[in-house]
Amino acid sequence: MTTRTRYFVIVSLLVLGVGLGTGLVAYYVGVQGMPFARHAGPEELQYVPKDATVVAFANVQEIMHSDLRQKLHRALPMQENGQAELQNLTGINLENDVFRIVACVYANSAANASGEGMVLARGNFDETKIEALMRDHGAQPEEYNGRRILVSDANSAQGQRHFALSFVEPGLAALGTADVVKKAIDLHQGGAGTAAGSVTANDELMGLVRSLETGNNAWAVGRFDALTSRAHLPENIAGQIPAITWFSVATHVNGGVRGTLRAETRDDDAANNLRDVVRGFLALGKLQAGSRPDIQAMMSSLQLGGSGKTVTLSFDVPSQVFDAIPHLAR
Amino acid sequence: MTPTASRQPPATFASAMRIFDLSLGQMLWSRRSVFLAVLLGGPVLLAIALRVVATLYTSGFQINGAQAAGASIFGMMIWLLYIRFIVPILGVFYGTALIADEVDDKTITYLFTRPIPRRAVLLGKYLAYLACTVLLVLPSVMLVFFLVVPTGGSTIAEAFPSLLTDFGMLAAGLASYGAVFALVGTRLKRPLIVGLVFAFGWEPAVLLFPGYLKRLTVAYYLQALVTHEMPQDSAVSMLLQVFREVPSVGVSLVALALIVGLALWGAGRAVERREYILEQ
Repeated sequence: MTTRTRYFVIVSLLVLGVGLGTGLVAYYVGVQGMPFARHAGPEELQYVPKDATVVAFANVQEIMHSDLRQKLHRALPMQENGQAELQNLTGINLENDVFRIVACVYANSAANASGEGMVLARGNFDETKIEALMRDHGAQPEEYNGRRILVSDANSAQGQRHFALSFVEPGLAALGTADVVKKAIDLHQGGAGTAAGSVTANDELMGLVRSLETGNNAWAVGRFDALTSRAHLPENIAGQIPAITWFSVATHVNGGVRGTLRAETRDDDAANNLRDVVRGFLALGKLQAGSRPDIQAMMSSLQLGGSGKTVTLSFDVPSQVFDAIPHLAR
Repeated sequence: MTPTASRQPPATFASAMRIFDLSLGQMLWSRRSVFLAVLLGGPVLLAIALRVVATLYTSGFQINGAQAAGASIFGMMIWLLYIRFIVPILGVFYGTALIADEVDDKTITYLFTRPIPRRAVLLGKYLAYLACTVLLVLPSVMLVFFLVVPTGGSTIAEAFPSLLTDFGMLAAGLASYGAVFALVGTRLKRPLIVGLVFAFGWEPAVLLFPGYLKRLTVAYYLQALVTHEMPQDSAVSMLLQVFREVPSVGVSLVALALIVGLALWGAGRAVERREYILEQ
C-alpha cells in the first residue's frame, strides 16, 4: 500500500471514528448534557410537576396576532364570547394580557377519578383586580408555602373538586386543580433543589419537547397509552388502536397552519402497521381531493415520515382553505 | 523450509490480500475516482446548502410548504441519492470493471501468470472495491448526517441509531451490487450496459408490480433493511409503496449473503475457466 493510499485510509477511518464517537456521546448523554446545549422548552416547565401525561405550550401573542386568527375573527365573530367571559370572570384579556401558556394534564390512576391539570399563563396581570373578581365568584383565599392561593369548589360527576389560582411569581399565573397548583408552588419555593421533581427531569418527555421547539408556536407532547387507558374504551375499539406510547403535535400558526404529528410506537412492527394505515388514509384523501385546488395543496403537503419506532406526518393547511370558512358559515 | 514447500502456491485468501493491497491504490487514484468524488461530493454539497437554508430562514427547509425535520430529509437523501442511485451505480461501474479493466489495459496476463489462483485475483479486487467504496460512501453519509439532521427540530441523539443501521445497510448494498456486477463483468460481453439496464431498468420496473419477480433483484432485499420511510416524491414512489412487500430483516440478510456468496463463486469460476484473448 502506498503512503498516499495509507493516508487516505487513515483520514477516512478518522472521519468515521470521530463521527461515530460524537454520535455515541450525543446518544448516551442525550445532547442536553453537552456544554453547547441550551435548556429545552419554555422556562415555565420547571413549575410543571413530574409525570405529566400531557404537556402543551402556546405562544398566545403570536397566535392571536396571526393572519389566520384575524381571518377567523372576521369570519366567526361569535367565537369572541368565550374570551369576553374569561375577562368578566378573571379580568384577564387573553388578547393583550397573556404572552404564552404552558398546560399540563395528569391522568389519575384511581378508578373513576377524573384527571388533574394546570395552566401556567405568563403575561401582564392585575393581581388585585383578578383576586377581587374571583372572590366575587366564591373563591376563598388561602396561604400555602408562603404563597397566596384562591381556591374555589366545583361539583362534578366525580364529587366536589377544588380549583385554585395563584401567582407563582410576578407575571406568572397558575390556574388548575388545587393539588397541582400547590405542587407548582412547592417547585417554585424549592428552587433548583427541586428540579428533579419537575417535568424537566423527565428525559423522555424533554427529548420530545426539544425536538418541537424550532419554528413552532404551539405544541403538545403526551403519553398516548396513559390517555387511552383512562378513556374506558370498549374492548373491540381499544384493540384496534395502534400501540402508540408517546405522541406529539407541533404547529406554526400564521397565514395557515403547518405542523407535524408524531407518534412513538411500542416497536418497529407497530410503527410499520401505523404507517400502512396512515398511507391508506392519505391515498384515500388524495383521491377525494378531486378538483379542489386548495384541498389538493393541503393533501400534497401531507408527508409521511419517520424511522424505526417513530411515525411522523407533516401537514400544511394553506390560508386558502380558511378563506372558504365565511362561505360555509353563511 | 524445504524446496518442495517453497514451490507450493500461496493460499487463496493470502493471495487475495496481496491483490487487494495492489488494487486498492489503483482504484483510489484512477480516473474513475474523479467520478466517485463527484458522486459522493454531491450529497455533501447539497447537505451544506440545506444547512445554510435552515440557518438563514427560521421556517427551515420545507417540503410542499410544510417544514421538514432534519431526520426526514436525511431519510429522503438516503433513499433517493444513496440507495436508488449511488450504491447501484458504484456497483455497476466498479464491479463490472474488476477484471475488465485489466483486460482493457492488457495487464491481466501479468496477474494470471503469477503463482496464485485466478479466483484470488477476483477476490482481492472485489475486497479492494469494497474497501474503496465503503471508505468513501460512509464518511460521505456521516457528513450529510451531521449537516442535515440537527435542523428542523431533529436531534443527533435521536437519529443516531438509524445512522448505524444505514451504515450496515449501505455496506451490505455495496457488497451485494459489487458481487452481482463482478459476475456480470466476468460472464457477459458489454457488462456496463447490462449492469446499467439491470440496476436502473430491471430493478425499478419489477419492484413496481406485484408478484415474485422482485425476488430476483438486490433492491428488494436491500430496501427491507432501510429504517427510513420511503419518500412520496412521485407517482412511481406511490406505486412502489402500494406494491411494496417487505421481507423480514433476517430473510433479507440471508438473501444478500447468498447473493454475495453465489455471485462471487460464479464470478470466480468464470475467471478460472475463461480464456482471455487480448487484442493486439
